[in-house]
Amino acid sequence: MKEKLLQIKEEALKEFSSCDDLKSLNDLRVKYFGKQGALTVVLKGMRDLTPQERPIIGALVNDVRQNIESSFAKKEEEIATKELAKKLESEKIDITEPSKDCEKGSFHPITRVIDRLSDICVEMGFEVVQGPEIESDYYNFEALNIPQNHPARDMQDSFYITEKFLMRTQTSAVQVREMEKRKPPFKIVSPGRTYRNDSDSTHSPMFHQFEGLVIDENVSMADLKIMLNTMLTKLFGKGTKTRFRPSFFPFTEPSVEVDVTCPNCGGEGCRLCKGTGWLEMLGAGVVNPKVLEMSGIDSKKYKGFAFGPGVDRLAMIENGVTDLKLMFKNDIRFLNQMK
Amino acid sequence: MKVTLNWLRDFVDVNIPAEDLAKRLTNAGMEVEEIIYQNEHLHHVVVGKILKIDRHPQADKLVVCQVDIGGQITQIITAATNVFEGATVPVSLPGADLCNGIKIEKSKLRGVDSYGMFCSGQELGIDENYFEGAGVDGILILPDSFKAGTPIDKALMLNDVVFDIGITPNRPDCMSVIGIAREVCAVLGEKMAEIDYSYKTDKEDNVANYIDIDVKTPNCPRYMAGVVKDIKLERSPLWLRSRLFAVGIKPINTIVDITNYILIEMGQPLHAFDQSLIEGKKIIVRQASNGEEISVLNHNTYKLNEEDIVIADVNKPMVIGGVIGGTNSCINEHSKVAVLESAVFNLKNIRMTSKKIGVRTDSSARYSKGVNLASAELGLKRALHLIDKIECGKVVEGYLDKALAKNEARNIVCSVKEINKILGVEIPVAKMGKILNCLGIKTFIDGDKIHALIPPYREDIEADCDLAEEIIRLYGYDVYDDLDYSLFENAKVTVGKYDEKLLLVKNLKQILINKGFYESVNFSMCPSDVCQKLLIEDERTNLIRIANPLSEDISCVRTCMAHASLVNIAYNQSVGNKNIKLFESGRVYLARELPLKEYPVEKEMLSFVASCEGYDFFYLKGVLENLLSETSLKYSLVRSSEPYLHPGISADVVGEDGVKYASFGQIHPKVAKNYSIAGKVFYAEINIEELIKLPPKKHRVNPISKYPIVERDLAVVVNEDIAVGDLSGAIKSACGKLYFSHSIFDIYRNPSIGEGKKSVAFNIRLSDESKTLNEEDINAVIKKVIKSLAFRFDAKIRE
Repeated sequence: MKEKLLQIKEEALKEFSSCDDLKSLNDLRVKYFGKQGALTVVLKGMRDLTPQERPIIGALVNDVRQNIESSFAKKEEEIATKELAKKLESEKIDITEPSKDCEKGSFHPITRVIDRLSDICVEMGFEVVQGPEIESDYYNFEALNIPQNHPARDMQDSFYITEKFLMRTQTSAVQVREMEKRKPPFKIVSPGRTYRNDSDSTHSPMFHQFEGLVIDENVSMADLKIMLNTMLTKLFGKGTKTRFRPSFFPFTEPSVEVDVTCPNCGGEGCRLCKGTGWLEMLGAGVVNPKVLEMSGIDSKKYKGFAFGPGVDRLAMIENGVTDLKLMFKNDIRFLNQMK
Repeated sequence: MKVTLNWLRDFVDVNIPAEDLAKRLTNAGMEVEEIIYQNEHLHHVVVGKILKIDRHPQADKLVVCQVDIGGQITQIITAATNVFEGATVPVSLPGADLCNGIKIEKSKLRGVDSYGMFCSGQELGIDENYFEGAGVDGILILPDSFKAGTPIDKALMLNDVVFDIGITPNRPDCMSVIGIAREVCAVLGEKMAEIDYSYKTDKEDNVANYIDIDVKTPNCPRYMAGVVKDIKLERSPLWLRSRLFAVGIKPINTIVDITNYILIEMGQPLHAFDQSLIEGKKIIVRQASNGEEISVLNHNTYKLNEEDIVIADVNKPMVIGGVIGGTNSCINEHSKVAVLESAVFNLKNIRMTSKKIGVRTDSSARYSKGVNLASAELGLKRALHLIDKIECGKVVEGYLDKALAKNEARNIVCSVKEINKILGVEIPVAKMGKILNCLGIKTFIDGDKIHALIPPYREDIEADCDLAEEIIRLYGYDVYDDLDYSLFENAKVTVGKYDEKLLLVKNLKQILINKGFYESVNFSMCPSDVCQKLLIEDERTNLIRIANPLSEDISCVRTCMAHASLVNIAYNQSVGNKNIKLFESGRVYLARELPLKEYPVEKEMLSFVASCEGYDFFYLKGVLENLLSETSLKYSLVRSSEPYLHPGISADVVGEDGVKYASFGQIHPKVAKNYSIAGKVFYAEINIEELIKLPPKKHRVNPISKYPIVERDLAVVVNEDIAVGDLSGAIKSACGKLYFSHSIFDIYRNPSIGEGKKSVAFNIRLSDESKTLNEEDINAVIKKVIKSLAFRFDAKIRE
């Protein structure tokens, strides 16, 4: 009996070790532990043993069973692991296939610049405001110290609607409205669409401006310079410099043209800046006291400064767009590069 | 404004290179836009004398010339036929680079060496008006007085440097050589030379013998006239022609050239009449009568009205005042006596007239910007000086001067402290005084006060800020380059804020971007036929028209967003783009009445449009629901009334208040055809103006039941015209407080369930806050649902 048991054990361990799939493993389980299984048969034979033999053989049976069972369990896990690996391998996908449900559009470059500038200015204490685009001659011109038939009107070609109304030529019109409405001190910016009767490679009949106005008892040309430097540095990055050149706008005196170090070459000189290292970026100045007075602000007490970059040009420079017409074509081959 | 370096040097010493001067002028606010070197293409071109001409041994059409080019003889082969032995000609030598692109090198022509080329006037960049013989078809034959070897630019006085300067509208005084010269003095710290106004006159004679002036309009504050007799209308001397030619004015004859010369030099327009053509010997300055006609020098005839000024005699209008002269009275080759007009007109009248009749002349350009009263006198005197100098006529004693006003130097008082406060930098008082003196503004400084005597030509200077600008532009804006100052150091703190409407739009845009839409920006203008194309017949047909449109395409202001969206789709389709999804935020402009009497309503809108494979109404609806869920809007959907949408595949979003917040759906096939759009296009627009009025969205959370949710599926068959939304509503209300949620998992149409029928399958989920629902509870609710659906919609349970 003892020999039989040892033989079963040896045979079983041998068979288990050579088994490599769950089905044959199961067959083996039946072969040894099933109703007619080899071990079961031996156990049945226990009845015929003497009481002295029983505990000895019993212990041996247990030992053999445990041995086979643990070997079985080990084998079972081994096979399961192998089969899982096989399954995982078979489920492998091509990770370069296209993604699903992930389409994304983009903001227009003009919006990007307006949003950036707005964020920068709000941080500096400016309030973002809006005004009408169909504007009266008064707000667009008269109140900005550009009376009827004044030579300064030659600076802008307007789209007129009636004698009184026109498509606003500058967001500066919003300045006057805000000065009438508010009590100083205040700081406002007003982004928006503007219109001029002009269309060529550098002019679009509709374009965008970003007007800024500060009214306070104590602001000067120096504040204007620092403010613009801060704003443009945040927009174009560290190392950006600005410089003033004298200019003329009827609503500011002194008036300046503001140049910024060319963001394309960092001031080294390139095709964009025609080798000068500088780009003309915006007009600005100290608000003309005549304008303050017309809007009901005491020019003896308060000073102000104003600035107005052209957004479209900024957007073109920021994104390397060379054709102005592309900005309003809304071709998705252009827009999807803004993602 | 073009001026030349030599012309400026008549009034100020310039000892720095032209580029440096240009830079300094630009930094002081006189922006030099271009520097033109007249002789850029005249180097290696000299005066030559042809000594001998021989036939070319190999070619019939060529001759071999020996040419003296100043102490040296050179050989030149030419095909020109107008050269002769002894002729003085321009010779371009090897190294020359002519204005027509020809580069001269030593060459061999049919075996014979040639060391250059004779030049025509055209090759030197000049014409017959500038130099006699320059217009002939052949070589320019120069006067014998020209010395061999003289550089041609010097010989022909083409060696000046021209500055093209952008003059800002506040500085009409700088539309003249003397104006720029004053600026040059200021930037260089030089003194302006005295201007020579002297001339001899015929003391025996007097202007009163020739002419009288009657000014009948207040719009001519000063009218002056001088008389010149025995005029010689011939070619002006070369130096005078050279100046005019350099600044782009065609030389004509002595008197005309002098009027042009004064226009450029002094900024004073002049007009020359033939005295014999002034009837009644009287110049009358008056407003035109309505319908008065005049034929002028540009060969046109214009009808004038009371806004225009005419210079007339007793019988006829002779000049459109300040704009252009008439053909009936100007000087001509037969003229013996010239009357020179030097006047000042109200700039508003000149602007109006010039704009109205569409005539812009050098004269009207200056009057439109403003000519000061003192200028009339200086201009006239300087013109008479020149006439005397070049001896092209005898100046008659005296001149007439009808002046309603004269402007003289004004005294203003400004504050040093205020000027520094504007500038935000401390500029020493002494420095301020020095700068102003350089500008011809005499100052007297008394403590904080600057007493400044403003010359008549600086009408733009009135107050502290004006002086501040004069000071800083000459002091130098580079003072701001390294400021030790922090932002808003002395200003009050203000709190930054976004505009609510812009913020809402920005949020909505972000959602659209996440849904794959690209932002577009379209013009707010549209063509006048948009409403026909969009089948719109309501008040949106009242398009606001632009009075002076650039083109029909952008001749009106839009009243709806759809047009631009559809144009974008059509364009993208036409270039082969696929899966086009665009949105735009912008305004529509609705007139209360036309023509516009008050501000129109400007409505902020957000529109989006999709032209994609497999896209349908329900995708669009999903996007819209997403957007609206950003707001507190409670709404229902009704069939859309938008005429440009498919009547069966579109909806309006209507709030509980009855307001329409949005419309969306498939573009009407007829409209799609009008825009040449292929396939189905889905469009939506949201009225931001209404959305922004809603209270902000608040989130309130209901407790979550700790008891399990149970679910039941239910399929019903109804008639096709029963709205699924209505079934949903009925289910919800029938479930009462046990309702948790429901979804539709199948909508099935098949003849097997009956024609015109559909089967809708719901998954209904129930829950109770206080207990676990048992079978009985559930069955009771489902029974109620079935009953309700059967009663309201004749719904049959589908097995």
